[in-house]
Amino acid sequence: MDWSTLPWDKIFVIVTVLVAGPGIILGITVPAIGQAIVAFSGLKAISRQPEAGDKINSIVLLSLAMLESLAIYVLAVILILVFANPMRTFMLGG
Amino acid sequence: MLKKNKKTLSMLLVFGVVIALALISFQIRKNTGYEAKPVAEEIAPHLVFAIGPIQITSTVVNTWIMILALGIGSYFLGRTFKVRPGMFQNAIEWLVNAIQGIITQNIGTNDSNLFFPVVATFAIFIGVANLLGLIPGLHSPTPDINTPLAMALIVFLSVPYFGIRSHGLRGYLKHYVEPIFLMLPIEVASEIARTFSLTFRLFGNILGEEIIIAILFIISPFIVPVPMMLFSIFTGVLQAYIFTLLACVYIGGAVKAHQES
Repeated sequence: MDWSTLPWDKIFVIVTVLVAGPGIILGITVPAIGQAIVAFSGLKAISRQPEAGDKINSIVLLSLAMLESLAIYVLAVILILVFANPMRTFMLGG
Repeated sequence: MLKKNKKTLSMLLVFGVVIALALISFQIRKNTGYEAKPVAEEIAPHLVFAIGPIQITSTVVNTWIMILALGIGSYFLGRTFKVRPGMFQNAIEWLVNAIQGIITQNIGTNDSNLFFPVVATFAIFIGVANLLGLIPGLHSPTPDINTPLAMALIVFLSVPYFGIRSHGLRGYLKHYVEPIFLMLPIEVASEIARTFSLTFRLFGNILGEEIIIAILFIISPFIVPVPMMLFSIFTGVLQAYIFTLLACVYIGGAVKAHQES
């Protein structure tokens, strides 16, 4: 079989999309579980001690933002893969 | 049973309305020959003009428009301030009070005037920049990575500035090697990592929002993108709040470091 006659640019796009879909699902699900744990325990703490609500609130928001940045990293990687893959010219020779 | 039926009915109604709007916009697009731009072209900044090696992109032009509008607006609004506040003055006083509350809670000083200019600039600039994309013809400057990077670099530089200002050069440098000398590379790495984390949080959130709106415009440009745009108001304001909060926490870490010891 002659490998050089295969449509490599189309295969490249197909593989990119096939990787990007499950990748973003996995990368969003795991931080979402972490955020759920943070929100759950924050809610429990506030309902147990409502007078400490302001302090707990800002800490919960802070940790949610920290966890969200993980999902954002995944989004950035996927966007680079799909829209501006630096390997594209290298793999397909311009 | 009736309640459940009502819920299913309303869900079906919503889906029906969305599909009907999509069909209507499909018909309109067929009749008028409207072609949606590709997503990457819609969002990526384009070159407006160049002065020698310096390229002025549409992001910079949008930022200039925003700064001009904010400056002129605050100049004329500032002249109308009275002892008895009106509607706009009430809103602005609420905003100033909220920012002062964030500063006193997270930096932990009673002298919030020292930090107020830079923190309020972050809040107002990022908030207005995220909302700028809702005006037709203008684009938000924040989905371009250079704007969030510039904001994060200002935080990166203002942390040692306020640290040295409140503890002196020796006192500030001492907190890098506080328990033992081995903490130095970890502290330096965390300072660099949180700068990138600030950049990518703002950039990724607003870019994701814009991409979703652009994709909805390709599918059905009639009314369907409007709820997503409403949601983008919430996301934009929330991101401005989180950026301000994190900047306050980082500055507070440098300022508070030695008050205890």
